[in-house]
Amino acid sequence: MGARRLPDRLAIVDFPAAADPGLLPAPIPEARPYEEGLAQGRLRLQACSACDRLRFPIAPVCPYCGGEEAEWRSLTGLGHVLAWVRYHRAYVPAFEPLVPYSVLTVGLDEGPRLFGRLADQSSPRAGLRVRTIIERWPEGRHVPSFVGAEDTP
Amino acid sequence: MTRVAIVGSGTVGFGRFPEQSNAALANRAVRAALDDAGLDRKEIDGLAVHIGSPRGLDYDAAARLLALNVRFAVQSWAHGRFAASVIQHAAMALREGLADAVLCLAVIRNTKFGRHGSPGFPDFDEALREGGGPHAETPAAGLLAPVGGAAMATRRYLERYGIEREKLGAIPLAQRRAAALNPLAVMRTPMLAADYQASAPIVEPLRLLDCSVPVDTAAAVILAREDRAVTLRAKPVYLLAFQGISAGPEEFVFGQPGLGVNQASIFDYRPAGATEPVFSKSGIRPQDVDTLHCYDGFSPQVLWTLERFGFCAPGEAADWVQGGRVEIGGELPVNTSGGHLSEGHSNGWGQTLEIMRQLRGEAGDRQLPGCRTALWATTLGDAILYGSQEVA
Repeated sequence: MGARRLPDRLAIVDFPAAADPGLLPAPIPEARPYEEGLAQGRLRLQACSACDRLRFPIAPVCPYCGGEEAEWRSLTGLGHVLAWVRYHRAYVPAFEPLVPYSVLTVGLDEGPRLFGRLADQSSPRAGLRVRTIIERWPEGRHVPSFVGAEDTP
Repeated sequence: MTRVAIVGSGTVGFGRFPEQSNAALANRAVRAALDDAGLDRKEIDGLAVHIGSPRGLDYDAAARLLALNVRFAVQSWAHGRFAASVIQHAAMALREGLADAVLCLAVIRNTKFGRHGSPGFPDFDEALREGGGPHAETPAAGLLAPVGGAAMATRRYLERYGIEREKLGAIPLAQRRAAALNPLAVMRTPMLAADYQASAPIVEPLRLLDCSVPVDTAAAVILAREDRAVTLRAKPVYLLAFQGISAGPEEFVFGQPGLGVNQASIFDYRPAGATEPVFSKSGIRPQDVDTLHCYDGFSPQVLWTLERFGFCAPGEAADWVQGGRVEIGGELPVNTSGGHLSEGHSNGWGQTLEIMRQLRGEAGDRQLPGCRTALWATTLGDAILYGSQEVA
């Protein structure tokens, strides 16, 4: 992936309903680079200093090699859909206006897999090309979501 | 190794019990188990509790309110996945001599707190814990409720192996036919293939009829060592072998390892199958198992369990279960009580009690002729192989 130019900043948009900050976990101290990255339009994850693999969720130990040293790295936010589900009911009020909505498992080009809502009208399918956008939540929080990106390689 | 057996079991049944406290429900189940075994309450000296407050009864309250004086007690995380672990801890305590008669107890109110996955349900805040929820809940992404993670794993499974979605229906249809023969089951009305196909989508690809039915229950089983077991009233059901829950970066409660769901890796899944410890320790092979009982919060969990434990290869279970193979009278009857899908979601206890009935020859219209071995197994790799006194 080294040849790929780092992306311009990812788009930051408002969550399209009444976001409830109670739906976000309290930030853990080690997640500050992730949280600050999102606020600046960047998707940053930990890369293991020993095996160079990126990981998610944020953790003190590499799940692949057990390495305890890591550096933060910006990702392109590009990936493809591995799996998707479509919610026909809302379990919390914040998502009621969005039903039916889709949630994706996205395999990012750099390796890690993330969950995120499909935030545009694309039809979800395995292999669909997507890019990360960042949705603005209350209290200065941000959440990654995805939109179709069939125009990207 | 000292052998242990379940020597008595009891339940209040499955449904809603608004007029009885958790302790009153628990006592009815305990009383039934004591009567079944022919034991006196004073003889119980170990207690292993599943679930606990607020959905159930914690170990200390249970001991206090049910007049149990025990010298060994343990209580698991309040998730159904630990049902077999509770029984395993009872067995280990007996082998270590920490107790002579261990009561395993579960009181479960699954209907009292609203919908699982919504605020107010006791486990809701777990979705916000470090690392994500226990079923991959990621609330700000809209990935809420256990059904969301189950649906995600199902989609990935269907895509990975090119499985036709409608084949999932074999499981709920089979289990409903079994439940029709079970007076304790809450869902006994016949289900037709057309009913399944018309079932409302909840979180696609899963439909309402792929989801278990929440119920309340109390269940109790009592374990003792073999020397004691053979002196008691009920036919003992032996624990021939067991193995614990697997956990790690590649384990997810739904799906198989290697699917790439919930941040797990994508790799070629080669389950231990017939070489799982539960088989190698007992000398019993998958094809020797007379009936399989597994955790079926959602119908595809049955397929993943079949694959993990070597009844068929990864990706093949959806074909394997067609044509009545997993029904009563088939090659491997599965969840013959109706399971969580139709008897009711008892967090593993309905199946455990059904195993007791089948191995004691007390399953009525559902009785499998010559049933001697029964396997409890889950998608997280834990298992207990039970045997009747004939095989043990």
